[in-house]
Amino acid sequence: MAILNITYNGLSVDYKANVADNMRDGDIRRTAIELIRSGQLRGLHIAHLPEDAFRDYVVDRLPTAGGARIYLRPKVPFG
Amino acid sequence: MRVVICGVGALGSAVAVACRNLDVSLRLVDFDRVESKNLQSQAFVKQSVGKNKAQALKMQLQNFYGVKVEAKGVRLAAGNVAELLGGAGLVLDCFDNAASRQLICDYVREHAIPCLHGALSADGTYGMVRWDEAFTPDAEDAPGQPTCENGDHLPFIGIVSSVLARTASEFVQDGSQLNAMVSLSGVQRS
Repeated sequence: MAILNITYNGLSVDYKANVADNMRDGDIRRTAIELIRSGQLRGLHIAHLPEDAFRDYVVDRLPTAGGARIYLRPKVPFG
Repeated sequence: MRVVICGVGALGSAVAVACRNLDVSLRLVDFDRVESKNLQSQAFVKQSVGKNKAQALKMQLQNFYGVKVEAKGVRLAAGNVAELLGGAGLVLDCFDNAASRQLICDYVREHAIPCLHGALSADGTYGMVRWDEAFTPDAEDAPGQPTCENGDHLPFIGIVSSVLARTASEFVQDGSQLNAMVSLSGVQRS
């Protein structure tokens, strides 16, 4: 199991309920859209979030000392 | 310890300024020249316009703070990566393209050199500070995609560069290696 962190419009929220750490990238994107539309993420509620909101986002899986984390985040190509 | 900063644009120039008090030997690598538009988001002053970025920053650090650094005004490439990164105790990757970042990754992994990557999203709302073990370069969505040149992003660039410099400082002092995610919600380190 892993903690899912979702970032949209610069706001970043942890989804506290664990998700399966082997969840497919597409399923993570769909889950994120539903969580944001339904208001289950504190501070990140957009009822009419577009279906393709996370099309260009990266699903990033990172083991940490506190357990596995999955990040759904924008691309970071610049420095 | 030698610390090599690759790319001294938005993130790298601010990181170099923030790292000026570290007890290390700093080397700056960048082939690009300072343009007037860079003054809005990078740590350059008007007198540096037209100069090579690495050389210009070397002059600024010397003139403003009395800090001596080494400047390499060349493009990092397969033919010179060993010369530029060899012997480094830490590499700070602040490049703005995936190909150059990958070149760094390949070299530091082959030679077991600690490397910390700093990276920004195009809209200036998200940043990442990651050690190489957990880093994969992201490509642009499209060639020529607008970057953080607009001065609107300067405060956020300041936050990410500060986290990057702080993380580098901790590594120099005690060897610790923390990753960080920076958004408008705050900084999350792990």
